[in-house]
Amino acid sequence: MSRSKCTLLSGALVEQLLDSVDSVLFDCDGVIWRGDQAITGASEVINLLKEHGKKVFFVTNNSTKTRKMYADKMSSLGFNVTADEVFGTAYCCAVFLKTVCRLEGKVYLMGSNAMKQELEAVGVQQVGVGPDHVSGQPIDWANVPLDPEVKAVVVGFDEHFSYMKLNRAMQYLVQKDCLFVGTNRDTRLPLEGGKAVPGTGCLLQAVETAAQRQAQTVGKPNHFMFDCLAAQFGVERERCLMVGDRLDTDILLGSNCGLKTLLTLTGVSTVAEAEAHRDSGSAERQGMVPDYYVESIADLLPALQG
Amino acid sequence: MAGAFGFKGCQKIRGAQIRGLLEAKDFFLFDCDGVIWHGENAITGAAKVVNALIRRGKNVVFVTNNSTRPRENYVSKFTRLGFTDVMLDQIFSSSYCSALYLRDVVKVRGQVFVIGCEGLRMELLEAGIPCVEETDDTDATIYNCALAPDVKAVLVGHDDKLTFLKLAKASCYLRDPECLFLATDNDPWHPLSGGRILPGSGSLTAALEVASGRKATVIGKPSRFMFECISSQFRGVDPGQCLMVGDRLETDMLFGSNCGLDTMLTLTGVSQIEEAQEYRKSDLTTNHSYVPDYVVDTIADFLPAFEEIEEQND
Repeated sequence: MSRSKCTLLSGALVEQLLDSVDSVLFDCDGVIWRGDQAITGASEVINLLKEHGKKVFFVTNNSTKTRKMYADKMSSLGFNVTADEVFGTAYCCAVFLKTVCRLEGKVYLMGSNAMKQELEAVGVQQVGVGPDHVSGQPIDWANVPLDPEVKAVVVGFDEHFSYMKLNRAMQYLVQKDCLFVGTNRDTRLPLEGGKAVPGTGCLLQAVETAAQRQAQTVGKPNHFMFDCLAAQFGVERERCLMVGDRLDTDILLGSNCGLKTLLTLTGVSTVAEAEAHRDSGSAERQGMVPDYYVESIADLLPALQG
Repeated sequence: MAGAFGFKGCQKIRGAQIRGLLEAKDFFLFDCDGVIWHGENAITGAAKVVNALIRRGKNVVFVTNNSTRPRENYVSKFTRLGFTDVMLDQIFSSSYCSALYLRDVVKVRGQVFVIGCEGLRMELLEAGIPCVEETDDTDATIYNCALAPDVKAVLVGHDDKLTFLKLAKASCYLRDPECLFLATDNDPWHPLSGGRILPGSGSLTAALEVASGRKATVIGKPSRFMFECISSQFRGVDPGQCLMVGDRLETDMLFGSNCGLDTMLTLTGVSQIEEAQEYRKSDLTTNHSYVPDYVVDTIADFLPAFEEIEEQND
């Protein structure tokens, strides 16, 4: 099978592809579910893959749930999944801070309760989670008291994002030895009904602009999430398949890590976009071209049921 | 003088050189924060300089990216701080100019969704521009909030009451390509006294640019639009007659450069002379636009030049 050709996966090719891999990594939003609705056939696919002896993992940039919350959601939708098979950015960010940054100290967190829980699970305390609004005068905001134990600013999806939180993050980041980590750069959160919800990428850009500093990010397409998974489970890259709906995160992660890649069309990206990358003549953009695509992961069912 | 030869001198000037400038130019544009005042404190000698220029019949205007107050409020501040001869029509703030842009350039029909403070809204209302009402519904989320109909522009300025919901609503409105995307300014942060800073409108605009996938049209410095407002109000201004005095290389000096004005950096604010020198040495020719023609430690350095002019006239 040749690489990066954006071929429709159908017929005999499906079984060929599945036989060539031992592990399948799935993105979540737009791949196995949309909001709270499972994609038709998705749970059967996951469960059958496991029955066929494949390892199944979930790799998501969505930082609003802990791995346990993801496992609970998956169970409720009929997926046979355990928490340790889920790699979300809330969990991976905590692992990154502990093992790569070797953080000693607290975190100023612009993020969800899930992120707070994952941090605490690795022994990292946070300050800042929840609503936080301005009071007093601008000079008070510029002089907000800073917790001397805070050694890192961490930005994930935060529905309580406010000017005051942006301000506090910036004030901490004025200190050059303060680390700066973001979960991911996705610009939008997928939602039903076509409403556009700004993603973590927007909040991160606000903080980066105010602080005039760049964050390190943990999520796709950065390879850290795959490294995290590979460190815990023995997987061979050449025998892994990455299944996603976004060319610039899922497929690019797959390419960056030497995995086979499959685009599903139940989410963000289109075949036309993939072909545009392929035909662009730009070497940089080739990483966003999937090996294969399907309309939905349910298209894998016939090969699995047969 | 350096400016006249078309290359950026970045030279500190004093005495006779300043006197020469004061005689050669008849239109002085001043930034405010860090140039004539710091917060509530006038810079020593600044009021004397401004008053003297006005009394000598020079045109003096103030060009500020600060969108938080309406112009009437600025007049009060000027008076309070001793700049007694400054009138409303000499003040060009990014909020006032945003209102002019919407009213006169775009001739907007429909509502404007504003992310900004009261001062910005007041300027828009004064120009007769309808703004979407601010709702204080703490239970509303992006999933159940109502979006206003007929929103023809989104305008982003400094907003200390920014919430996630406002960002989300704005990005919904911006999905319509016919809906304009404007920003009062791009300043990433603002200085306060004591070396402290606060996040600027630029950081909020950046968030919305990422959310919408669109670039904002910036009204304030370094965009040319505020100079066009000034020129329009004064029925034509010759850039060659102007001197732009500011403290921030990336806004004031670039603004001056973009409008073909001579520029002067005063060192009482944000930028240091070393930064200007770095830009000057840069291989990237676009960086040269940040380099001032002239540099002074403070605009109070103009004062001896006035005294000399007076002596000469006696």
